[in-house]
Amino acid sequence: MKNAVSGVGLAPDAAMVTFPIPMFLPGADLSSLKARKGEFYDGLTRWKSEFAQAAGTAKMLAVEGASYEDALVKANNLLLTSLWGDGLPLWPATKERVDWMLRGSALPRTHVLGKFPPRGGITTLETCAIALAMAGGRPEYLPVLTAAVEACLEAEGFDQLQATSGGPFPAVIVNGPIAKQIRLNSGFGLLGPDPQQPAGASIGRALRLLQQNVGGALPGVGTMAIFGAMRYTNAVFAEDEEGLPPGWQPHGTLRHGFAPGTNSVSVVFASGVTNVRRRGAKKESPEEDALNGMWRMADFMRAPNLAALAGWEKGTPGIMMLAPIVARRMAELGWTQQSIREFLWENSKIPMAHMRRAGAPAWIEIDANPVTRASIDLDPWPICQKPDNIVLLVAGGGHPTHSYWLQAHSPTVEGRVIRVPETFDRLLADADRDLAGRA
Amino acid sequence: MVKLEFYDPSSVLEVTQPHAPRLASLEGKRIGFVSNEQWQAYRMLPMLKEMLEQDFPGVTVLPIDTFPQGNALIGNEETAALVKKSKVDAVIVGNAA
Repeated sequence: MKNAVSGVGLAPDAAMVTFPIPMFLPGADLSSLKARKGEFYDGLTRWKSEFAQAAGTAKMLAVEGASYEDALVKANNLLLTSLWGDGLPLWPATKERVDWMLRGSALPRTHVLGKFPPRGGITTLETCAIALAMAGGRPEYLPVLTAAVEACLEAEGFDQLQATSGGPFPAVIVNGPIAKQIRLNSGFGLLGPDPQQPAGASIGRALRLLQQNVGGALPGVGTMAIFGAMRYTNAVFAEDEEGLPPGWQPHGTLRHGFAPGTNSVSVVFASGVTNVRRRGAKKESPEEDALNGMWRMADFMRAPNLAALAGWEKGTPGIMMLAPIVARRMAELGWTQQSIREFLWENSKIPMAHMRRAGAPAWIEIDANPVTRASIDLDPWPICQKPDNIVLLVAGGGHPTHSYWLQAHSPTVEGRVIRVPETFDRLLADADRDLAGRA
Repeated sequence: MVKLEFYDPSSVLEVTQPHAPRLASLEGKRIGFVSNEQWQAYRMLPMLKEMLEQDFPGVTVLPIDTFPQGNALIGNEETAALVKKSKVDAVIVGNAA
């Protein structure tokens, strides 16, 4: 609630009466409401904001230690006790480190990207650089981070996505040559960690720190994410564009219309990650192997858990990742990006009888989107309005056994072109010097 | 001693408007509810209405469904305009969980 009021420009507190969660469950004993009625009356008459003036200005923090190591420990303790950490060691964002990060952009450090909801912290280029510094990043990662932040801030309902109990996390898909240039994984273990291609870890961790520290998504306080998957690093990875079969388009082109070769991000809010065993186990023909795998994917998607309701019209029900070797074999058999999405869409429709037994129609009836509400008349019920909503990617290791489904809770899929400074080549040369190593 | 200086990562907030002034008393006032219609609001808010009416002479508490309800509607400008138009002195918003 504090986040919600500060996000609309009020001081970050509010007259609230809080009760333990059991009171909000069906059939709960409400007698304490009567016992504490005076708190409601006080809220209307006597309550005063403790932040009547401006809530604060940016500041530097300082710790002292007997040695650098001692000071580093104290800095980490301070960051944790101030509720700005994530439990893993942090690099304190010193002026030197933040200045280094800022070499990743030609924009002034005061450039404002927006207010990070729901808390409404002002998000500048410097704010992003501070988070990236803390997350162990490098300057050549900053363009991807800022594009991802811009996409998040632009995303419909991002304030609610930050706070909701479903706990969606940003899945940042990167297209264009920048992915390889900055060592962002598109292959084996692309959801990380990977010391050979470490970029996704710190970009995603920086984004999560921004979500928490600037946006206020502190677990149990600013975000009610009950389980909160992928909350250390979110998911930042690249599509394997070299693995695209002939004639297939990169995701940035297919979804957002960016020219092939454009450096871009595309942000989906995902709420789950899982394998779908795709490959056959015995003597299937190539056609059977492909079709059986497609059915397994569609069957998995055909669940009345309403995860995708938020993105029914314009967003996406999720990201289906096909390994490049699978995409190539399927393309050789005549499958296209369009026919795969159409198959998945058509065969993941849920009979309304199954929806009814799961109590699903009630959630459709109260959905904010009138187009989604109207979908209640469809039987079977498609998990999204059209096949194009499904995000289909070619990514992952060169192995045919599994596909990967990132279930979404994503009202939109936001794309942004990545802007790099003129000096970007110099940053890449520095990275080669530092990281080329023995790999 | 080694001194380590580093940035506060929480950025700054911009307070652009004050909270609504509190009422001197609830007696004779006009109170409204803005409900998201969830988390037992359908049970709790009528109880609050009844308690206010019992405890404060002359208070007018508008029916729970006077304004649009539901998470999708309570935060929009149309609802805010309806609340202003109703000339209520105060509003109780519920329920968050």
